Amino acid sequence: MGNPTLVSVRSLTRRYGGRAGIEAVGFDVPEGSLFGFLGPNGSGKTTTIRVLMGLLRPDAGAASIFGRDCWRDSSRIKADVGYLPGDLRLYPWMTGEEGLRLFGRVRGRDIRAVGRELADLLGLDLMVRVRRMSRGMRQKLGLVLAMAHRPRLLVLDEPTSALDPLVQEDVRRYLLSQAHSGQTIFFSSHSLAEVERVCDRVAILREGRLVEHETLEALRARSRRVVEILWKDLAPIPAEPPVFLRLLERPQRRWVCELGGAVSDLLRWSAGQPIEDLLVGPPDLESLFRGYYRRQESGR
Amino acid sequence: MNRGLLLRSLRETLPATLLFGGALFAVEAVFAIALPAFERSFAGPLLQLPFFQGVIQALLGVDAAESAGFGGLFTSIAWVHPVVLALVWAHAIGFCTRIPAGEVDRGTIDILLGLPVGRWQLYFHESLVWIASALAVSGCAGAGSLIGMLGGGARIPLARLALLVANLFCLSLVVGGFAWMSSTLADRRGHAIGSTFAAVLSVFLVNYLGQFWTVAARVSFLTPLHYYGPLRIIREGTVPAADILILLAASAVFWLAGGIIFSRRDLVAV
Repeated sequence: MGNPTLVSVRSLTRRYGGRAGIEAVGFDVPEGSLFGFLGPNGSGKTTTIRVLMGLLRPDAGAASIFGRDCWRDSSRIKADVGYLPGDLRLYPWMTGEEGLRLFGRVRGRDIRAVGRELADLLGLDLMVRVRRMSRGMRQKLGLVLAMAHRPRLLVLDEPTSALDPLVQEDVRRYLLSQAHSGQTIFFSSHSLAEVERVCDRVAILREGRLVEHETLEALRARSRRVVEILWKDLAPIPAEPPVFLRLLERPQRRWVCELGGAVSDLLRWSAGQPIEDLLVGPPDLESLFRGYYRRQESGR
Repeated sequence: MNRGLLLRSLRETLPATLLFGGALFAVEAVFAIALPAFERSFAGPLLQLPFFQGVIQALLGVDAAESAGFGGLFTSIAWVHPVVLALVWAHAIGFCTRIPAGEVDRGTIDILLGLPVGRWQLYFHESLVWIASALAVSGCAGAGSLIGMLGGGARIPLARLALLVANLFCLSLVVGGFAWMSSTLADRRGHAIGSTFAAVLSVFLVNYLGQFWTVAARVSFLTPLHYYGPLRIIREGTVPAADILILLAASAVFWLAGGIIFSRRDLVAV
């Protein structure tokens, strides 16, 4: 039996006047998973998150966290949720230390010790006022404030934006360690590469509709691979590739193909061919994802 | 009671409370000293001037020529002077448009409501701090008047001074209540401030014109200034219970409407 569902979204629809924000979106986030929520800008990721956080009321459908309705029981849900908004704004008068004290008081628990540990990990000075912080520092403080009460569920909307690559890596490592210890992480991003490195499940939104909702493993299995074949000198080259290979390029004695079938089919076929060298690339998730981007852009 | 919410609100509003309280203190102290002296020197000839009679009538709602001999006329100007009203109303509008319009506009509503806080809970805590702040600012007006009296200004019995403060506080609550309601309807703080300012200006004008124009006089009972009567309090010393109740009821209606709207509305990113 799988892990219990922590976040459940069913046929969720939210429109802005005549413009559709999201349309009939549905997915589940199992407890303990690192769930990637992907989509190009304007695809409806933030709208979905705002419904989950009780900031927007859905026009149709339902969203629940911990089995509670996200609109009606919003404040109870958020006792065990950490939230980092996509467009993070913090009180300019606040220092990190004041923020930990204040947020702890609102939450009714002391979160300063964990907050300081997290700040150390991210290299954040908690004594600086928000108004004097760079965008990256504010993002770090947002992460600290979202995670310091060790919530069961972390909802992070583009959490690594504005962070330098080294800190991004620290954040990813920390999130992975948290997921291993049972925390559920809902990770929104427009970068597949980032989600690929962190998440085990993924949902992809396009123009407000869900187009994928799978484990990353299943998505990889469905993704095409690039295959490069170098033919032996003077050997006869087949006129056409087999059905499971689509020829992309044909420079001299080399074929660059896209594998549309199983690797075992390729190996069986290649055994009888005069092949000098064979290179099979990793599953190309990026091209799958780019396909969604392109369709959205061409649809505009 | 959530101490964190109260402290957050206090931290954000204390400077404005001190600023407006201090300004009202100073203005009332100066008026308390200057107006009686002015009355002694110029009241006689000035009250004969039709223009000045009009101004007095508009400010205090009484016939200046008839009221000249009864005292308290100039003292009560200190409580209806446009500077005083502007300070009280600016404080109310500034404070009460912070949530939700100010927070939405600034973008901090996401982080605030990302905490385990209900909208009614947030609204209630903000309102508590608002009441304390409005009370402090009105109290500063009373304290300024008291200091002015000790410095040689006209004497107002302490009980009457307390009633003046209470009446001013209730007036402030009505404007604040309306500002809350405007704020819950807006995503931009500027819109909330603008609509409340327009309403307050209309109220002031209707009340002013009501002294000369029967149409305005007929509807002036709808304006909160109709229930704000410092001259009556200074002269008679009776508790204006009906006026205070009407002002409190109006502010409660606005506040409640604001709370209902806030609890149901969407909070979009602007």
